[in-house]
Amino acid sequence: MSDEAIPRQSFTDKHRKVLLGGLAVAIFLAAWQAVFLVVPFNKLFVSKPDLIWDALVDLIVSGDLMRDLAISAVPFVYGFSAAVVVGVALGIVMGWRERVSYALDPIMTIFYASPLVALAPLVIVFFGVGVSGKAIIIFVLSVFPFIFNAQAGVRAVDRLLINVVRSMGGTERDLYLKVIVPSVLPYIVAGARIAVGRGLIGILVGEFFAASEGIGYAIARFGDLFALDRMFACIFAIMVIAVVLTEGIRWAERAAFPWRVGQ
Amino acid sequence: MQAYISGRNVNLTFRPPNRGPVRALQNFDIDIGEGEFLSIVGPSGCGKSTFLNVLLGLIKPDSGDIRMDGKPLAGPGTDRAMVFQEFGLLPWRTVQANVELGLELKGMSSDTRREVSQPLIEMIGLSGFEGHFPHELSGGMKQRVGLARALATDPNVLLMDEPFAALDAQTRDLMQVELLRIWQTAKKTVLFVTHQIEEAIYLSDRVMVMTKRPGRAKKIFKIDLPRPRDYEMRVTPEFNELKLQIWNELKDEITV
Amino acid sequence: MTDIRALEADIAQAADSGAPGRSAWYRLEPAILGTASIAVLLVLWEVLPRLITMSAGTKLFFTTPTQIAGTLWRLFATGTIWTPLGVSASGFALGLGLSIVVGLPLGVLIGRSRTLNAMLDPFITAFNATPRLVFLPLLMLWFGLGLEMKIVIVFIGALFPILINTYEGVRNADKTLINVVRSFGASEWDVARLVVVPNAMPYIVAGLRLAIGRAVLGVVVAEFFGSESGLGVMMVQAAGRYQVDVVFSGLIVFAALSLAMTAMVQVLESRLSRWRPQRAGGE
Repeated sequence: MSDEAIPRQSFTDKHRKVLLGGLAVAIFLAAWQAVFLVVPFNKLFVSKPDLIWDALVDLIVSGDLMRDLAISAVPFVYGFSAAVVVGVALGIVMGWRERVSYALDPIMTIFYASPLVALAPLVIVFFGVGVSGKAIIIFVLSVFPFIFNAQAGVRAVDRLLINVVRSMGGTERDLYLKVIVPSVLPYIVAGARIAVGRGLIGILVGEFFAASEGIGYAIARFGDLFALDRMFACIFAIMVIAVVLTEGIRWAERAAFPWRVGQ
Repeated sequence: MQAYISGRNVNLTFRPPNRGPVRALQNFDIDIGEGEFLSIVGPSGCGKSTFLNVLLGLIKPDSGDIRMDGKPLAGPGTDRAMVFQEFGLLPWRTVQANVELGLELKGMSSDTRREVSQPLIEMIGLSGFEGHFPHELSGGMKQRVGLARALATDPNVLLMDEPFAALDAQTRDLMQVELLRIWQTAKKTVLFVTHQIEEAIYLSDRVMVMTKRPGRAKKIFKIDLPRPRDYEMRVTPEFNELKLQIWNELKDEITV
Repeated sequence: MTDIRALEADIAQAADSGAPGRSAWYRLEPAILGTASIAVLLVLWEVLPRLITMSAGTKLFFTTPTQIAGTLWRLFATGTIWTPLGVSASGFALGLGLSIVVGLPLGVLIGRSRTLNAMLDPFITAFNATPRLVFLPLLMLWFGLGLEMKIVIVFIGALFPILINTYEGVRNADKTLINVVRSFGASEWDVARLVVVPNAMPYIVAGLRLAIGRAVLGVVVAEFFGSESGLGVMMVQAAGRYQVDVVFSGLIVFAALSLAMTAMVQVLESRLSRWRPQRAGGE
């Protein structure tokens, strides 16, 4: 800014947060590995990083991991897409029409407060363990963030901005393209971030219950087989996917809506 | 005039994390007499607010000698009190609890606190608002509370950091009149930081113009207008002459 | 912009209270419409299965509101629900309690210390993004099928909303206000007591509200997949026997539990935020 601000800074200063974080992860992994030099290691009860790594490589090379993930991805895509379409449409109507929101708000609140996961056994018994049962569970869990966020987004449209565009002779189309969509979209994307986590819960619930394939089934089966290294490897894979999805959306939010810095 | 507060060769550099260091004050000198009303005007970011925080004892300068009443300054103390630009009221405390904050931290009992706060709240014209929360007050009312809070601990020195900047023009004018009234009765030494030249002239005995960062004293103007001052004084030729002189000093320091 | 909106709200409020003739309907409209839509839904649910002919197999999966109400009444009247409810409630309460005891101080710590924050950030990000359900098979292996497992799964579910919200609240403490109290000679403890904690309070309460939802979810999944007793176990067994009314009864009890807890938090919230112009959100 001014010539008094001296931009010289050491590397460690600038990347302090990343370095400290990386250091902490390294210490954690090393401690995990090292603790079994002191404590007796029971393969059926715990695992350690090197074994987990081997199992992960093994699962990737054999293609098992990819196959399970691909199988789980199908209902996720169906359920999640349906949640986007239905949730956004319903949310926008509820945000736009006050009466609709009066009518639906209490029902939505009750649904949202109920642990809808509890209906999973029924859904599975009714629709079976295939794609449709899982997709429905995923849909039910991930639709609410879209409804609530789209509604909040429409409500947050600044009326002053609408008047500004109107006063400059903007048409209805300009109104949508220049004010409404840019205002609502960030809310919907933020909703997607929450919905992703809930959708993943949906997959796991569906597959823990009664499935013969998929990543959730793999975790449960490796648990039953006491193959802890493989179970940890699958857990790790899910963690990576979850972080990539949510942080990816966060990154996309910052890239696409730079004007919304700081929330 | 014997200086009540004196600063000599004060240097201060900020080292914020993730950014380069910023030199805020360089060889900064200042003298303030007892009971004097001194204003500091200067460009944004010149270090004038920083110096108030140094005097308050919140920031330690890297070097330099600061004395008050002949004694070197050491940390915050109840002989000084600050009035903040954004009021700095604790939003979860009522008017009365905000006014009594300093007294409470001194360990005073609630009865004694009340004996102090009650007349102050009366003086600032907020009787009946003791139980209100800050968000229920207008900007002018909030800053009255800020002023009462600063006066509650009966400090010798009032430090005011653009206290009226967040107020609208009319409220600001009224608050200036009120501040002068309080200053004349309470006999405090006031160090007043502002952006507004007119405000500085109207209130002060002397006005200091600061350079841009790193801040130093550029020139000091003595304001020989008679007291008590009234609003009409602002349209006199003398007043405008001073305003022009100060502006001429200041404008070279301002970069847009 | 904000000012204009606030002004509009003021005007709307003034108009609301100023027109007694029309305001009765305006005030009641949301309640009337909300109740009506729920009523319509219930009636449709009750009537439709009677009008549409279904095969016996499909019929097994349907129940009606009156049936559910009857079952719910029977469960409470005979007292059969109390044991499983007690088991579920204790897992819920102990897990949630533990997450508060751990999450609050940890949140304050990482809110005040940059170093600790930087070091714990990767773990918090990773665990918060991952559905905690993946750890269920592992936890079943480690803790068995009893109360401990339930407490742990509830704990890891409820911990993060509390931890993250506490952290946000602490970090957002107004620098000016901290300076204000410091200028009166306040100690670190005074700063925490007078500024940091009151400022974080609304965030913490919002986190608590989220945590309640997560805790109920934790109880449900723990009991679905790896427990011997509890409301969730009752529901899974009922689903296997096609007792759909029992499944819905369980769902309603769980929903009531989370709504009641949320209502309690809301009371706490409104008591604590009398000083606020409006409620703060923030996840």
